[in-house]
Amino acid sequence: MIEEKSPTSGAVPAIPPQKVTTMRTTKFEETVAGYLFLTPALIIFIVFLVIPLVIAVYISFTDWNGITPLRDDDAFETIGDDNYQQLLTQEGRRQTRFFTAVKNTTYYVIGVVPTQTLIALILAVIVNQKWLKARGTFRTIAYLPSITSSVVISIVFLWLFSRGGLVNAFIELLYPAYGDKAINWTDDSTGVFHWVLKQFGVTRADVGDWASEKHYGLRTWDWISGPSVTMLMIMILNTWTTIGTLMVIFLAALQNIPSYVYEAAAIDGANVWQIFRKVTVPLLKPTTFFVITLGLIGCFQVFDQVYIIGGGDATLTVAVLVYRNAFGTGSNMGLATATAMILFVIIFIFTVVQRRFFGGERANW
Amino acid sequence: MKRSLALVLVLTLALAFFARVPSSRAQDTVTIQLMGWSSSPAENAALEEMIAAFEEANPNINVDLQLVPEYDTTLQAAFASGDAPNVFYVDSSRLPDFVDAGVIAAGGDMIVDPEGFFPSLVDVFTIDDTFYCPPKDFSTMALQYNKALFDAAGLEYPTNDWTWDDLTAAAEALTSGDTVGLVVPPELPRWLPFLYQAGGSVLSEDGTEVTFDSEEAMTALELYLGMVEDGIAAPPSELDAGWGGEAFGTGRAAMAMEGNWVIGALEENYPDIEYGVVELPAGPAGEATMAFTVCYGVAADNDHPEESWALANFLTGPEGATMVAEAGFGVMPAREDAAAVWLETRGIEFEAFVTGAANAHRWQFPVGFGDFIDTFNNGLKEAMAGNMLPEEVLEDSVAIAEEILAE
Repeated sequence: MIEEKSPTSGAVPAIPPQKVTTMRTTKFEETVAGYLFLTPALIIFIVFLVIPLVIAVYISFTDWNGITPLRDDDAFETIGDDNYQQLLTQEGRRQTRFFTAVKNTTYYVIGVVPTQTLIALILAVIVNQKWLKARGTFRTIAYLPSITSSVVISIVFLWLFSRGGLVNAFIELLYPAYGDKAINWTDDSTGVFHWVLKQFGVTRADVGDWASEKHYGLRTWDWISGPSVTMLMIMILNTWTTIGTLMVIFLAALQNIPSYVYEAAAIDGANVWQIFRKVTVPLLKPTTFFVITLGLIGCFQVFDQVYIIGGGDATLTVAVLVYRNAFGTGSNMGLATATAMILFVIIFIFTVVQRRFFGGERANW
Repeated sequence: MKRSLALVLVLTLALAFFARVPSSRAQDTVTIQLMGWSSSPAENAALEEMIAAFEEANPNINVDLQLVPEYDTTLQAAFASGDAPNVFYVDSSRLPDFVDAGVIAAGGDMIVDPEGFFPSLVDVFTIDDTFYCPPKDFSTMALQYNKALFDAAGLEYPTNDWTWDDLTAAAEALTSGDTVGLVVPPELPRWLPFLYQAGGSVLSEDGTEVTFDSEEAMTALELYLGMVEDGIAAPPSELDAGWGGEAFGTGRAAMAMEGNWVIGALEENYPDIEYGVVELPAGPAGEATMAFTVCYGVAADNDHPEESWALANFLTGPEGATMVAEAGFGVMPAREDAAAVWLETRGIEFEAFVTGAANAHRWQFPVGFGDFIDTFNNGLKEAMAGNMLPEEVLEDSVAIAEEILAE
């Protein structure tokens, strides 16, 4: 840090200047050198990110089917914001599916982000305790799911949560009566709130006509009936796999908190809970912001687990919808890129909004 | 110094980027790329053998076989980038997309001996009177029954003359404890035979009108869903299985309606199961089944069209079809003569798969019907879970189909 500023004061004893250089030329040379060093990364960034992004934005205003070679003259026609209208405003199947995906993804984010952040924080605090024996082992165990292939984990979860699987066997052990109406976790499109209400005998038909009215292609009842049971399983799966990574981030931040802060709090008479609530949590604020941002982006883009576990519309997320529109029977790349653009805007808005809540002063990352 | 080094580096990269690899046109041998997906190891080995035979017969053609995972995605990307393989697998359901995109060459007269194929298969790969690609092989749906479970229930084995009533009666008698009579996947292609057996259809013959909103469709839906409601049939996931064949193999379902692929899967995973195969039961409007088939498409943008057609014709011609038949894996060769050879290799007990070709319907919809399939599948699943009524499933699907046709 000091060296960078020093050319102005001329205090660089190790490398004596060989010729007289003005401040201006030094600055210039530094700038050139800087950009030269940046060039490889910049080229990769431009070729693999910026150019595709620009092309994707352009394609989202066309009707390209994703098959005809782009160099063909008749590969696509520009159709304005038709794709966006079909997804957002125009009533029809595209709108219904898009909002099904938005609904599922929103429930997913609302469920997963706070849960994984909280659990990761608690885990990090626990494995950061000096009195804890074999801390390294616990840290490794908590981190293992994060470095395991999501495909493998998804398949293992499919077995665990199948109708005759371990999870159901365990619940049956606790409630023997459960066996008769065991939940089929891997393939149950019932919304969880709906499921709970159904246990009390309340269904869509009972609550009145408002529940069957359609908004953005979905019945009000579907909007409020929560994530499907299968989605809940995927939420549990993903929470479990991500907390390891988030825990490591929290752990690094925790170890950056100097011990004198805790000592001061202890001397002031704060108890364990007060120290956690009034010292640890506020000092972790920038990290929490980082973790929540990572979580939001990751959750909005959830794809692989859903792709493997399947479940049709009940687990359809926006990222999966992008894939479905882009490839396979009836592929429509224009629609797919438009979907992806809207997803980008949604993530962008959420990130900005939560920055206002957690960002506070400029977060240091 | 560093700067000039960087400059050299950038220039080299740029050169490498823009330099064109010299084409191999000058040479006499031509390389044909064949892209497909990997089936069973046995099938892959048979294909490699056929290609070796082709290369021997045509010394100037070299075949580059690419069996790729995520086939649909890979092929689509290859098309889009203008670097398509010369010959590639085309699933019947995907053909309309490829024709619409103009990436598949119209076969027409290039296809050798078209009369030798099963007419229903030629029909599948014919769009607007153009026969696009020669069928590779096919599967039909038939009814598999577990002999041990039928014996235990004291029932007579099913026959080719079964009707819906026989099916439901047997399913009821076979249901006990963990076992249900029949496994019914909540998927359109598995249910479509019932629609056709009831005399219904999704679209009119010329594909311009939605005929799905009918008494017949309702009858077929009520039969399928009714069996689930009565507890004598269940979807695979309710039976701890990923698909119908698995539920049948584990004995959780006494009967299944799967295609030829079930043969290999059962042999490999449940070799002890004793089972028989008969044609699907007849409905009010007679017998019907589904044919699932794949053809060898030739790329429209092709440097070596003649060699490509030579390969496609060899693989599907009388000689190739006989080789498929003699290898005797699950799927059947698309030529009628070779199908007889297949039965000899495979055993007469699988005859129902072959005879099904006579009344098989195509698994194919016009461009854009993917949304229709998704909607119906979703509705069927919801209805099986008791969250939707059969008429709602039909209503939603009809609306989608009409919306697609209107575009």
